[in-house]
Amino acid sequence: MASESIKGKALTYVLIMLLLAAITVVIGLLIKDITYRGYYLTLTLGGIVLFTSGIYTVLIKLKSDEDIKGIATSAIQALWISTSMGLGYIVTANAPYFQIPQAYAAALFVIGWVMLLFGLYSLLKLSRESGVPLAV
Amino acid sequence: MTANEGTKGKDVFGDFATLVVPEEHTKSTLNIFMIYMGVLAVIAAIFAGSGLAQMYDAATMLEVAFIGNLILAIYGGLIAYVGGSTRANTYMILRYPLGRLGSLVGNLIVSAIPLVVWFAVETWLFGLTVNVIYPDNPLTSIAAASIWGGLLMMVTAYYGFRAMAILSYITVPFWYTLVVIGFFASVDLAGGFDKVWVARPEVIAPLGVGITYVVGLYASGSVITSDVARYGKKPWSGAVAWAVHVTIFMTALLFAGGVMTLLTNSPNVIVAIAQIGLGVGALLLAILGQWTTNDNNLWSAALAWINTTGKLNKRVWVVILGVIGTLIAGLWAGLWGMSLEPFINFAVYLGYFIPPVGAVIIADYYVFRPFILGLRDPKERYKFGPGTKYPLINVPGIVAVAAGGAIAWFTQQIGWGAPVINGIVSAFVIYLALIVPMEKLGISWGVGEWVESSTGF
Repeated sequence: MASESIKGKALTYVLIMLLLAAITVVIGLLIKDITYRGYYLTLTLGGIVLFTSGIYTVLIKLKSDEDIKGIATSAIQALWISTSMGLGYIVTANAPYFQIPQAYAAALFVIGWVMLLFGLYSLLKLSRESGVPLAV
Repeated sequence: MTANEGTKGKDVFGDFATLVVPEEHTKSTLNIFMIYMGVLAVIAAIFAGSGLAQMYDAATMLEVAFIGNLILAIYGGLIAYVGGSTRANTYMILRYPLGRLGSLVGNLIVSAIPLVVWFAVETWLFGLTVNVIYPDNPLTSIAAASIWGGLLMMVTAYYGFRAMAILSYITVPFWYTLVVIGFFASVDLAGGFDKVWVARPEVIAPLGVGITYVVGLYASGSVITSDVARYGKKPWSGAVAWAVHVTIFMTALLFAGGVMTLLTNSPNVIVAIAQIGLGVGALLLAILGQWTTNDNNLWSAALAWINTTGKLNKRVWVVILGVIGTLIAGLWAGLWGMSLEPFINFAVYLGYFIPPVGAVIIADYYVFRPFILGLRDPKERYKFGPGTKYPLINVPGIVAVAAGGAIAWFTQQIGWGAPVINGIVSAFVIYLALIVPMEKLGISWGVGEWVESSTGF
């Protein structure tokens, strides 16, 4: 039961990050005609999260339910990258170079914080429940 | 399983400073890679690219950086494999090619002294960078920023390897992404990639000068690769992680820094990035990069001092050395405005003797022990643990390091060849030229004896 729970949680956490990244890419598409710089920013940061979360979702699904350490290790690796990119949004959303309109910049800034805080929460929770160290 | 498994002593100093890392504490190759990347994620690496930009156009810069880093990958990778194979840190490994007392001298030269100086210099650079970007706040004066920056670095070094790994994991992916963003932003503002390939300094330097410059940047760091590689799950984990990170990512960082300098005509990459309009991002770039590098300097320095003195534990040393480094940065340079030049000159002078230390490790581990002493199994060549006997001084090792360092210094003065490489090759040859005939003729090359205690000292 515990292993199923870990796999379910791991997939949920990684997919939530994937969803948040997808929202940022959609925001990027909305501002594409206003600022190509902002568009490329979301493609870069959001794209990294989409790519890694997508790959790791498949890897986690392929793992046996009993392989708690393997599942948690994969999820923690994916979450580190997503969390780091969340920090990236916090830092860059309002930077003058990208010329992102205020409302969109605010949305990216908030999503960045959500990714950072949710990432830290899910990392700690997965690490504690699986016994896999955060420094995988 | 290494030959050293089961020879556990008491880890009284913390972080296995004088002991072999136990199997259960080993880390994945990815983890080792991330730690190396955290070390590399320093603003100085991009600044170094600025140095290349003053010598070459972009295409030649890429070529020079790649060749130089390939040399470092082989040199540092060979040393990292020794650490991964024995699970021992640099200072323990040195007990064989330099002897037990010789290793104490080696510790002082390689890490104990220069790393404290570099910690102070990086901390001061941190304060300077913060002040350049935010000049009008008392908290961001050079002195204040150096002090709070030094304290931040001390905290993560205090909590040891795990804290460093976590910090690297959260900062490194973002840091490298920001470097890429800064690179493309500067290209964008300059008018496109066509500008990158046509930009060039007035005079192009010979290739050898640039390769020497690149090797010199990281030759000292290459000698202490075992400090991280010893945690590798596989003997080759550290060597592979090191080689990949230095060949690909160091090359990329040098190129990115160089191109930004070429396009903006600013020797200060951080100011250039700030001018581009990345604002807080540039500040974070500096903070995170220097933080992850400098806490590693402090951590390695603490390991070295434990291995030199056998007194106090790692955390106490981190605080002592961190306070000294922070005071040098914050008070000496920041508040009193005095030059760090004497400290830097001293560290640079010691730096001539560091690459030869790596050379004697390589000569001893890969040539002397397997082919002369017949220890073909890599895991059997160095043994550690309570009761292990070491010579007090390995005479050929000490002579080779002293001669190699002197040759590197002298060839630098007369401008002959590549001084760093001269030092490495000379020490390698001199060590084997002395120890092989001595062993064959039955002349004792080791003087005295030291028996390892239960604490690993």
